[in-house]
Amino acid sequence: MGELCQAEIAIIGAGPAGMAAAIRLTQAGIRPVVFDMGNAPGGQIYRQLDVPVIGETLSGTDYYRGRDLLGDFSRADIDYRPRSQVWWGQCESDGVSLGVVDAAGVSRWHVKRMLLATGSMERSWPFPGWQLPGSMQAGAAQILFKEGGLVPEASPVLAGSGPLLYLLAWQYCRAGCAPQRILDTTPASRYRLPLRYLRGAWQGRHYLVKGARMMLALKRAGVPIHHGVEALEATGKHRVERVHYYWRGHWHHQDTSLVLTHFGVVPEPQLGRAIGIPYDWHEGQQCFLPERNRSLQARTRVWVAGDGGGIGGALNAEREGRLAALSMLTIPTNDVADRKRERRRLEQRRATDLAVRPLLEAMFRLPSHWLSEQPDTTLVCRCECVSLGELRRAIEQGAAGPNQLKAFTRCGMGPCQGRECGESVTRLLSTVQALPPQEIGYYQVRPPVQALSLGELAATATDA
Amino acid sequence: MFQRIAESSVIDGVDIQLDGEICRVPITLSVAAAVLFIKGDADYRRHVDGHARAPFCLMGCCHECLITIDGEPNRRGCLVSVAEGMSIERQLGGSQDDG
Amino acid sequence: MQSDFLIIGGGVVGMAVAYGLARDGQRVSVLDESDDAFRASRGNAGLTWVQGKGLGMPHYAELSLDASLTWPAFAAELEARTAIDIEHECRGGVDLCFDASEAKVRQRDYAKLQLSSRHLAQHFRWEYLDRQALQTYLPGLGESIHGGTWSPHDGHCNPLHLLRALHAACRSLGLEYHASTPVLSLSPCLNGFRAATPDSEFHAERVIVAAGLGARNLAPMLGLSGTVRPVRGQMLVTERMPRVEQLPTPQLRQTATGGYLIGDTHEEVGFDKGVSLEMMSCLADRAVRIYPFLRQARLIRAWGALRIMTPDGAPLYEASSRYPGAYNLNCHSGISLAAFHANELARAIIDDRLEERWSAFSGARFNVPAHC
Repeated sequence: MGELCQAEIAIIGAGPAGMAAAIRLTQAGIRPVVFDMGNAPGGQIYRQLDVPVIGETLSGTDYYRGRDLLGDFSRADIDYRPRSQVWWGQCESDGVSLGVVDAAGVSRWHVKRMLLATGSMERSWPFPGWQLPGSMQAGAAQILFKEGGLVPEASPVLAGSGPLLYLLAWQYCRAGCAPQRILDTTPASRYRLPLRYLRGAWQGRHYLVKGARMMLALKRAGVPIHHGVEALEATGKHRVERVHYYWRGHWHHQDTSLVLTHFGVVPEPQLGRAIGIPYDWHEGQQCFLPERNRSLQARTRVWVAGDGGGIGGALNAEREGRLAALSMLTIPTNDVADRKRERRRLEQRRATDLAVRPLLEAMFRLPSHWLSEQPDTTLVCRCECVSLGELRRAIEQGAAGPNQLKAFTRCGMGPCQGRECGESVTRLLSTVQALPPQEIGYYQVRPPVQALSLGELAATATDA
Repeated sequence: MFQRIAESSVIDGVDIQLDGEICRVPITLSVAAAVLFIKGDADYRRHVDGHARAPFCLMGCCHECLITIDGEPNRRGCLVSVAEGMSIERQLGGSQDDG
Repeated sequence: MQSDFLIIGGGVVGMAVAYGLARDGQRVSVLDESDDAFRASRGNAGLTWVQGKGLGMPHYAELSLDASLTWPAFAAELEARTAIDIEHECRGGVDLCFDASEAKVRQRDYAKLQLSSRHLAQHFRWEYLDRQALQTYLPGLGESIHGGTWSPHDGHCNPLHLLRALHAACRSLGLEYHASTPVLSLSPCLNGFRAATPDSEFHAERVIVAAGLGARNLAPMLGLSGTVRPVRGQMLVTERMPRVEQLPTPQLRQTATGGYLIGDTHEEVGFDKGVSLEMMSCLADRAVRIYPFLRQARLIRAWGALRIMTPDGAPLYEASSRYPGAYNLNCHSGISLAAFHANELARAIIDDRLEERWSAFSGARFNVPAHC
C-alpha cells in the first residue's frame, strides 16, 4: 500500500478557514498538514492574492484584507501542500485515513484529527441553455479577473441573485467593461427587508452600505438593473447568442455572447458526505449543511469550518477556523483560561457577524419551485445530459428517491459526480412529492471525491 | 472573448503549445483560463452529446473544462496552472452536432 | 387495500416476479424499502451469466443456462412495453484466468459439471482459450493474463435500465408500488396475509418475500427460511471510454455508455456496503493488468454492494408449508435469472406449484425447522 504518512492534524483546504486554523494550531506547537487543491493559499476569496494581479481600486477592499492572513500563513511552520487533492477518506477509531493524489502520485495518510475547510461552490440553478458556451457562473468570471486581470471583450449580461452579482458588476464597471444589464431575480420589494430585520441590518450595516454603494455606482454608470426577473433562457446555435428574460409580465430579449449567472453559494459537500457526516436541509440557506456541534465538530475526530459548514462569508470562516483549532487542541496546557477567553471572544464576534445572515437569506431567497417550472428540455445533469423531462418520466415510473432516480436516468453519474445536479434532484423530488427536502435526502456520495486514474490507484496496490 | 485589462500588474509570460500552436500567456493563468484567453469559449470542448461546452465554474466542481494536458486526457483545466513548454490539446473529437 | 399478491421488495427479483404476475392479470402491490436501502439491484455488474454457476449444484447450472436462452425475448418484450433500452447483449463471455493453476482448476471444474448432467453435457458449451486466442474477443488484453474460459451463453445488460423497465412495465399494468414503506411484520390473517408498515397495513391473499437480506427478519415470520447472508462486492466504474468490441468478463466489462465496470470481490464483512482502499487498489491493479490501456482512465465512482447469499450460493424458492400462500424468493442472480423469474417462476407461483416444480431450490435443503 505504499508508505503510510502520518500527521497529528490534517486540514483540507487553504481558504480563510483552513489558513486561520493552521496558523492557530502552529501557535500551540502543532505543525498541521494542509492539503489544498489550489496553487497557492487563499481559497477562492483570496485567490492570487499572494501575487496580486488586480489593484485594490478594482478588486475592492475586502480582497486585500486577506493579506495579513496570507502573510501569517506563509510565515508559520505548516506542512502546506498545494495542488494536492484528497480523493478518499475514512473515519477510524484512532483517527482518519486519507487518500491524497498530487503530482507525485497517490499517497495514504493517517491523521489523528481532521478539519474540513473545503469551502463552498456556486449553486447550480438550471435554466434552458445554461449549458451553452457563453454561459458561465459569476464566480468563474471573478476567478478570471483575479487570476489574470481578464474581463469580457464584449459587454456581458449578469443574471441571478445575491451580493456577488453586484460585486462583479461593480468590478467590471471599474475595469471599463460595464455589463449590458443586470437581470436580478430578487423582487425589488425584498430590498426593503432591512427595515424589518433591524438587528440584522445594524449588525450587517457594512454589507448593506457596500451593497447600496455598488448599486448606486451601477446606476451612475448607466447599467440597467431589472429587479424581479422571473425566468431566464439562453439561446444560440453553438453558443450563447441571446438571453431571454421574463420580467413584468413579458418576455424580453437581449443579444449577448456572455451571460454570467449567480444564484448564491452552497457548501461543497463531497468529502464531508463521503466520510459519513450527516447533512441537514437548512431552510434559510436553501441547501444541505453538515451537522456540527458548538465546537464545529461534525463527528469524532472531524471538524468543519468555513463556508463548507454553512455560508457565513470570509471573516466568519476565519473565526470558525480559529474556533475549530481551539477545539482540536486536546493537549492540556497552563493557558486554559486564556483559551476559554479567546473562544468566548471568537464566538461573540461570530454571532455578531452571523446576525446579518437571516436578513441576507430572506433578501436573496430563491424561488423553490424554479426548477419544476422550467421546460422539460432544460438539462439538469450537465455531464450526462439528463433533462428535466427525462427525470419527470423516471419519477412517474417509480424513481421515488435521489438514488433510484440516478440509477434510472444516469443523472449524477458523470465526471462531476453529482455536484452540479444533486440539490436540483432533491428540489425536484421535493416539489413533485410535496415532501420537505430533508425527507427526500441526497445522493449517496462515494469515493473518489476527486478524480484519479486507474493507473494512479493501481500503483498503490500491494502485490497480490 | 476575454482580454487583459490595462490596469492589471505586469506578469511574466510563459510559452505553451495549444493544439500545436505556440502561444504566450500570463503565468498566473490556469490552463482553462489560458484557453479562454487565447481562443474564447466557442471551441473549448466537445461534450458526449456532440455539442460544444466550455468552462462553467472554474473552481474544480463542474468538470466542464476537461482538456488534454501533456498527453493526459480529461484533466480539469481550471486546477492546473500553465507552465513553460506545456502542451495542451482541446478535446474536440466525437460526434458532430447535427442540430 | 386487498390485492391478490403482496410482494415485499422492489428490487430486481421482486419486480421481475411482480411483472410476471401483473402481466397475468393478478392484482399486485409491491412494498419497497427507502431510497438508501442496501439494494443489490443497483450495485451489481449487470452480467447475464451462465458459466461457473452451479458448480456444486447442476440444477442451478441448468437453470442458469435455460434462463439465458429466454433472456433475448424477455428483453425485447420489456423494451416493446416501455421503450427503455435494456442494452442486453448475448454474444458470449469470458471468465479470465490469471495463471496456469487457476486455468487448470477452472477446466477441471467445468468438465466435472458437464459430466454430472445430461442436459449440461448436451447444451453447455465452453472452451478454454489462451491469451493469444482471446485477443479477438478481448482486444487489448494484457500480457500477464494466462487465458480464460469462453462460453457463448454469457452476456450482459444494463441492470439499472432493467430495474427501471420492470418498474415502468409494472406501472403500466396497474401495479401498486409503495416506496419507502418498510415492512415491520408479516402475519397470516383471515383472507390471506397482513403486512404491517410504520404508517399502515396491507392485505393480500398471498404474499411473496423478495426482500433480499430483509428476508432474514421477514421470512421466518411465515415459517420460511431466512438463512441468507451478505457477501460484499466492491466495484469501480471509469469515465466514458471509446467503445471497443469486447466480450464481457466477470472481472470487468465496458457498458453501453463507454464506462468500464470493474468488480468481482467477495468479502464477508457483514452489513457494510462501504469501500476499502485495499480492495479499490486491488481492483484497479487487476483492471490495468487486464487492459493496460485503462491506465489513464479516470475513476468516476467506487461502491460496495451486498450480495444476497444462501448457504450453498444457489437460489432459494420456497413455499411455506405452515402458511400456504406465503413464498420466499432469494438469490444473488437476480439479473441472470430475471427472465426466468418473470416467466416460469411467476407461473409456478400463480399455480401454487412452486415446491413441486422447483423442488431442488426449496429451503428444505437447508433443514429449516418446520416450525419456529
